[in-house]
Amino acid sequence: MTQYESIIGLETHIQLNTQSKIFCSCKADSWLDAPNSNICPVCTGLPGVLPVLNRKAVEKAMLLASAMQAEIQPVSFFDRKNYFYPDLPKGYQISQYDMPLARGGFIDLPIPDSTGQNTTSYTRRIGITKLHLEEDAGKTKNIGGERQIDFNRCGVPLVEMVTGPDLRTAEEAAHYLFRLRQLLRWIDISEGDMEKGHLRCDANVSIRPVGVDYLNPKTEIKNVNSIDAVRDAISKEIERQIRETEAGQKIEAWTLEWDEDRGILKKMRSKETEADYRYFREPDLLALRIDDAWQNEVVSIQPELPLQRRQRFMNAYQLPEYDADILTSEKKLSDFFETATKAYPGDSKKISNWIMNDLLRILKDRNMQIDQMQLQPADLVEIITMVENGLINTSTGKSLIEKVEDSHQRPSEIVRSENLTRVSDESAIISACKEVLAENPTEVASYKAGKPTLMGWFVGQVMRKTKGKTDPEKAKEIFETLLH
Amino acid sequence: MITEELFKHLVDLAALELETDESQYLLGQMNNQITAINELEQIPLDDDVPPARHGVPFPAEISPTLREDKVDVYPNVEALLNQVPSSEDRYIIVPDIPHTELK
Amino acid sequence: MGICDLPAHQIAKMVRLREISAVEVLDASLDRIQQVDGRSGTLNPGEITNDDKQKVHAFISITTDLARAQAKAVDQKLAAGEDVGELAGVPVSIKDIFCVQGTHSTAASRILADFISPYTASPVNRLEAAGAVIMGKVNLDEFTYGSSNESSAFQPAPRNPWNTNHVPGGSSGGSAASVASGEVALSLGTDTAGSIRQPASFCGVVGLKPTYGRVSRYGLIAFASSLDCPGPIARNVRDAAMMLKIIAGADPHDSTAATHPIDDYLVSIEKNIKGKRIGLSPDYFRITYPDPVSGSFQQQAVTHEIEQPVRHAAEVLSDLGAEIIEDIPMPNTRHGIPAFFVISRVEAASNLHRYDGVKYGYRTPIQTDDLRLMYRRTRGEAFGLQPKLRILMGMYVSAAQYSEQYYMRALKVRSLIRQDFHEAFNPTGKYRLDALLTPTTPTPAFEMGAVYGDSVMMQYADQLTVPANHAGIPAISLPGGISSTGLPLGIQLLGPDFSESTLLSIAYAYESATSGESWRSSRPKVLS
Repeated sequence: MTQYESIIGLETHIQLNTQSKIFCSCKADSWLDAPNSNICPVCTGLPGVLPVLNRKAVEKAMLLASAMQAEIQPVSFFDRKNYFYPDLPKGYQISQYDMPLARGGFIDLPIPDSTGQNTTSYTRRIGITKLHLEEDAGKTKNIGGERQIDFNRCGVPLVEMVTGPDLRTAEEAAHYLFRLRQLLRWIDISEGDMEKGHLRCDANVSIRPVGVDYLNPKTEIKNVNSIDAVRDAISKEIERQIRETEAGQKIEAWTLEWDEDRGILKKMRSKETEADYRYFREPDLLALRIDDAWQNEVVSIQPELPLQRRQRFMNAYQLPEYDADILTSEKKLSDFFETATKAYPGDSKKISNWIMNDLLRILKDRNMQIDQMQLQPADLVEIITMVENGLINTSTGKSLIEKVEDSHQRPSEIVRSENLTRVSDESAIISACKEVLAENPTEVASYKAGKPTLMGWFVGQVMRKTKGKTDPEKAKEIFETLLH
Repeated sequence: MITEELFKHLVDLAALELETDESQYLLGQMNNQITAINELEQIPLDDDVPPARHGVPFPAEISPTLREDKVDVYPNVEALLNQVPSSEDRYIIVPDIPHTELK
Repeated sequence: MGICDLPAHQIAKMVRLREISAVEVLDASLDRIQQVDGRSGTLNPGEITNDDKQKVHAFISITTDLARAQAKAVDQKLAAGEDVGELAGVPVSIKDIFCVQGTHSTAASRILADFISPYTASPVNRLEAAGAVIMGKVNLDEFTYGSSNESSAFQPAPRNPWNTNHVPGGSSGGSAASVASGEVALSLGTDTAGSIRQPASFCGVVGLKPTYGRVSRYGLIAFASSLDCPGPIARNVRDAAMMLKIIAGADPHDSTAATHPIDDYLVSIEKNIKGKRIGLSPDYFRITYPDPVSGSFQQQAVTHEIEQPVRHAAEVLSDLGAEIIEDIPMPNTRHGIPAFFVISRVEAASNLHRYDGVKYGYRTPIQTDDLRLMYRRTRGEAFGLQPKLRILMGMYVSAAQYSEQYYMRALKVRSLIRQDFHEAFNPTGKYRLDALLTPTTPTPAFEMGAVYGDSVMMQYADQLTVPANHAGIPAISLPGGISSTGLPLGIQLLGPDFSESTLLSIAYAYESATSGESWRSSRPKVLS
C-alpha cells in the first residue's frame, strides 16, 4: 500500500485585544453583550460611511510581526476583498492583499516526543508567508432553516497570519496553534481564547505519496476553532483523502466546514471555491506608512519571547525542559520564577518545584492568575529560606502560601504572630507522643498486633496537638522507640 | 466582446436576477462601453508610470493621523435595528445557505 | 425679484440684522417651491402629464418640518442675542445622495426608498451648524449614475428651469435646478465626473468641485470613492465661496479629508487677479467620441457657440490684467472617459455590494429558503438599469483575468492625466499657469430623451469635466452666456491642488466684470 504524507498550511485569524474596533469607535469586546449592541453606522456598512484606522491595531500587528521575525513594511495598503455573505455588511472586507503590513518570518516549533514530559523530539521551522491587518466579520448561526446574524463582531481588528505548507501532521498543526496562542498572550496583543473566537483557524490539507515533491489539490477546512478541533478535523480530512485516493477518486479543491458539535466535515454546495474577490485598493484609506521612528518605538517594548526564555531558563538555571516549558507557559509566571530565583542563592530547581507543585495548584484551586496573588516572589523565597534554616517545617511552609493569600501579611509576620516556629524541643515532642498513645489504647493495641500503617495516624495526631509545628520525621522516630 | 456565457457568469457574480429585455440592453451597452475602453490599450505607457490610487497624492503633511484606540459608544443603535427588514430578538434574519454533508 | 432670488450671503445678512426672519425666508422658499416645482419624484408616478412637463421637479422630499424647526431655532437665537452662523436662515437643498438623520436618504433608488438615515453626513452637519435651513432632498440620477437625472427611480425627473423640455444635467440635476429656479439659495452636490459642474453649466449657476479631500465624504453615499467630491452649487461666486468655507476641512470620520489649512475664501475672492497666468488648451476645444454606428473614434471641434464664451472670458480676464497663454497641451484629456469607465465601475460595483436586502432598504417580498436567491431578487428588483450596468461592467473589468488589462491600465492613465495638469501648473515649469480656462460641457442642455439610454454618449458629455476628477484638482463652472436656443452656457476654470482661493478670485473678478452684460439679465423660463 502507498505510504502518504500530509501537507498542511494554517491560516490563522487573530483578534487583537484593542479597546475599540479597527475602523470605528465601537467597543471591540462583545463577549457578554446582547447581539447587535456594539454597532454603529460604520461597522454595519450603512450607506455613506467611511473607515478610520485604529493606531493601536497597527501597533499590535507590528508586535506580532516582530515576534515572528517578519519584516514590517514601510508602506502597506488596504484593499477591498469583495464577496457576498450576510455577516459582511459592506459586501467587501477591508483587508490587505498584495502589499501587507509584514512579509516573511518564521517560528521554530519544538515538537515534543510522546513521553508527556515535554521533551523535544525535533524542531520544525514553520514559515510565515503573509501577515496582514483586516476587519472581522459578524457571526451567523443556523436556526431551523434561517440564519441569525449578529454584527457585534464586525470590525474587530484581526491579524491574518498564513503559514507555508510546512506542517506535516495534525499533531504539528495543533502544536503550532498552542505556541501561537502562548505567544499572543505573552506579548499582550490578543486574549488568544479559542472558545471565544479570539484565535481561529482555517486549515489547508493535501496528501501525497511519501518521496514525491509535487503538491496535490488541497481542501480548505474552515471554522476549526479549538486546538482539539484542529487535530480532529485535519486527521479526519487526511483519512478521507487517503480513502478517496485509494478508491481511485480525485481530490477536488473544496471548501469544507468543520461542525465541531458533531465532529463532521460539511461541504458548502456553492461554487465559493471559484470566488473571484476582485481585490482593489481601498480608496477610503490612505497608504499605511510605518517609519523607523514609529517602528522602533513600538518594537522597543517587545519582551523576550516565550521559546527564547524557555531555552534560557534551561541554560541559565539548569532547569529540565519540562520545568522550563511549564514555567514559561505564561509570561507573568516566568517573570515570577525569575525574580524569585534571582533573589534566592540556592538551586533554582527548588524554586521551580515550589512553583510547579504548590503555587500552580493554589492558583488552579482559587482560579487566579499569578499576578493577582498576594504572594510576591520575595515571599516565596522567604518561605523557602525559613524551611531550609529549620525555622519552620515543610508543611508549615506550604501552608504559609495560603495564609499569605488569606491574611495579606508577609510570611515572617504570620510565623511570628501565629507562633508557627518548629517545635525542636525533643522533650516537648516526647510528652506529646506519650499523650497520644495514652489517649488511644485501641490503636496502640492494633499497631502492636501487626498494623504498622497506623504509624502515619499517630504522627498525624501529634501534628494536630502541636498545630503542625513538629517535624513529622522526628515524631515518627520517637513513636518507634515508644512502641517498641 | 462579452459573450452570452460570460455575461451570465458576471450576472451571477453580481448577484442579480435580470429580465430578458434588461439582459439584452445591458449586454449591448457593455459591449459599446468595451469599445470605448479598449482605447486604453492604444495608449503608450512607460513602465515607470505609477498607478494613481487618488489624483491628489496625500503627502504626510496633509494626511490625517490615525484614530486613537478609544471607545465611543454609538447612541442610536435602535435606529439602526429599525432599518432591518426582518429581525427577531435583536438578530437579523435571512434565509439559509444550502449545503451538503460529507461522510 | 423676491427674497428667493437674493444671494445667500445677502439673505444671511438680512436675517442676522433681523430685517427679515428666517421663518419668512422659509415661507418664501416654500412658496417658490409650490409655484415651480410641481409634484416631487415618487416610485409610482403614473402618467407624466403636460402640467408635469412645465415644472422643475427638483425635490424627492421636502422636509418642511425639519426646515421650520431650523428656521425657528435661528430666529430664537437671534432674539436671544446668540451667534447664528454665517448661513443663518439660508434655504439649502441637499442632493439625496447625502445621509441626513431622520430623513429618507434614497440615492434616487428603489433599493433605498424606505431607508431613513440614523446619522447625518459631515458637510450637512456643518451647514446645519452654520444656521442653514435644510429645505429637503433633491433628485439625481440613480446613485448619481448619469448626466441628465433621467435615470432616477423617482419620477417625474427634474427638468431644466430654463426650458423644461431639456434636462437639468446630472447627476446633481435637482441641486442645480433648485438653485436656478430660486427654490433654495444653495445646494450641496457631488461631483465624480462633472456632476456638479455639468448641471451648473446647464442651469446657468455656479458649481464648484473642490480638490479631492478638501470636503469630507462622510455620509455621501459612494459612487466612485477615489473620485467623489462634495461641493457647493450657488447662484454667484461669493455664495459658493461662503459655502465652501463652511463645508471644507478635515474630519475625524474621513481618512481622506486632508488637513490642509482652509483659506478664508470670502477674503480670497476680493484679491486682484493682475498677473495671473490663465491658459487655454486646444484639447479642451474638441471632443473625441466613439461613433455610435461604426465604433471608430471621431474627433470633432466644439461648436462656436460653446467656444465663444470661453474666448470672451479670456478677453475679459486679460482686460483685468491676467495673462492669457494659448496652446497649452493637454494630450491626455481624451483618455479621461475610457479611464473613468473602468475606475468608476470597479469602485461603483464594490460600493453597491452592500445593498443586499439584509440590513436596510429593499428586500424582495418573494419568500425563499435560499439566501443567494434572496440577494439576486432583491438586487434585480430594486436596482435600475444604470446601477446594474455599472455593477456588471465593474465585475468585468476587475475580474482577475482582466484587471491588469483594464483596471491597472486605467490607474496609470489617471497618472498621465494628472501629469498634464502638473506640467501646466508647475510653478517652475514651462507654462506656470494659475488656472486653465475651458468650456464646461461640449453642448448646452440636451432635450429629455435625446441621449438617455445610450450609456456611452451620456458618459462622453463629461469629457471636459472628468479630467479634474482623475487628477483630484479643483474646478469651477460659471455661467458664461446664453445659447441661441435660450439655454445657459458654462465656462470652467481648473487649478492645481487646493487652489480654490485662486479659482474663486478669478471667477469673482470675471463675474463682477461681466455683471452688466446683456445675457446676465436672462432668467429661467419657469420664473417668467
